Order: sequence, then C-alpha cells, then structure tokens
Amino acid sequence: MINSQEASAVLMEIESLSRLVRQSVFYRHASTMLILWGVATFIGYLLSFFAPAAAPVIWAVVIVAGVICAIIIGALNKKREGVSTFDARATAAFIAFVAFGCLWSIVFGNMAPRQIGAFWTTYFMLPYVMTGFWFGRVFVVIGMSVIALTLLGYFLAGPWFTLWMAVVNGGGLLLGGLWMRRS
Amino acid sequence: MAELDDIIHQPLRLKIMAALNALHPAQGLDFPRLKKLTGATDGNLGAHIETLAKAGYVSVEKAFVGKKPQTTVTATATGRGAFARHVATLREIIATAEGK
Repeated sequence: MINSQEASAVLMEIESLSRLVRQSVFYRHASTMLILWGVATFIGYLLSFFAPAAAPVIWAVVIVAGVICAIIIGALNKKREGVSTFDARATAAFIAFVAFGCLWSIVFGNMAPRQIGAFWTTYFMLPYVMTGFWFGRVFVVIGMSVIALTLLGYFLAGPWFTLWMAVVNGGGLLLGGLWMRRS
Repeated sequence: MAELDDIIHQPLRLKIMAALNALHPAQGLDFPRLKKLTGATDGNLGAHIETLAKAGYVSVEKAFVGKKPQTTVTATATGRGAFARHVATLREIIATAEGK
C-alpha cells in the first residue's frame, strides 16, 4: 500500500494527463473546422477579388456551404466517436453570431466593402482568441496572427486587399488547422 | 479500505488508463497518439497494452487506413470501472491520512 503523498502525486498525474488528452481531442476536432473554414474563406475571397460585384452572393453561398459541411462533419464525428463537434447548439450559436455581425456591419454600420472584409475577419477571430484563454495558446496565436495581418493588409495592401485576405485569412486558418493537428 | 489495482497501478499502465478514461466511452486513441501522451517506447507501450487487454481493461482494434496499419486502443466498461475504483482507493488513502 502507498502513503498519502504518493497517492496525491498519482492523482495529480492522472489529472494532468486527463487535461492533456481532452485538449488533444479538442484540438483535433477544432483543427478540422479550421481547415474547413480556411478553404471556404480562401475560395470566398478569391472569387470576390475576381467578381467584386457578386461578393454578397458569393459570401452567402460560402457561409451556407460551410455551415452544411460543419454539420456533416459534426454528424460523422457523432457516429464515429459518439461526440458531436457541431450540434444544434453550435449551429444556433453560429447563426446568432453571424446575425449580430450582419446587424452591425450591414444594417447599422453602413461599411465599405474593404471595412466589411476587415470587420468579419477580426470579428470571427475574436472567439478564437477568447477560446484560447481556456483551451490552449494555439487558438490565441492563430487568432491574434490573423487579426494583425488583416489590419496590416487593411492599411497597406491597397487594391490587393481582397487577395491579401484570401492568403492571410484562408491560408492562415488552413495552416493554423494543420499546426493544431500536430500539437 | 479497498486494495489498489495492481494491473493499473504500474506507472505506464496508469498513464494509459488515465488517458483512455478521459475520452468518451466510444472513443479510443491510436498507438502513435498514446505513445506521445505517455512518453513510452513502442515495445514498452505494446507490452503494457497487451497486459491491460488480457485483463479485459482495454480493447485493441487493428485496421488499415489506406495502406497504413492503425492500432486503436479503447477502455472497456470493465477497465473504466476498475480505473474508477483505483482512483477512489487513492482518494480514500489521502482522506484516511488527513483523518477525514
């Protein structure tokens, strides 16, 4: 039989490992979503660069397609591992988040296309940064990097801003997702 | 006071069981991830997984993903129960020492 100090040490090790495993699983699921939205936003910005007049339609299609893919991935995870990563609550939260963004960027904000591009990217990165305070520094690094590069492009990229955003936002999320998968 | 589970109490097997118990019951961990989490070598990890599997504490599933073989280890209901009892005994040891 072991003494109480040894028992405490064993329990601490169990707790530490459990936390590591939960974080690892969370990163794995989150990385799939990051890669999905990375590809979606890359396509959205690229198409918007070549057809700026059609940008509202392009983004509506990209967001709806992204949500449908996220729901399918969530359902597959539920079937395979018993854990849903994009369930009804996540869908409702996403819709509320997008509705809030639309209200202030389109209805009240009266923003120019360039401002809308910068707003939505920084707005979407905010929850990543905040999530990172609880679930790991990888989220904070990805969120802050994309926000910083977005602001850099907003002020310095001139007419190439939309293309800059395709690389920075789409590529940033994609690389972030791949990095997270290795973490 | 209940006895500690000798099969689980070995340090590496404890790490394996702790890692698997942190997951949803339907979830498992593949061999490379388990190796990374426990810091074990291939041979050592394989031997201890076998001991746990013989005790009925874990199930081992081997499959091919593409052309690569993949081994997934999952805690069984028996293993989860044994692990919970082991943790309860550890807590009991601490509580007894503190005079609770």
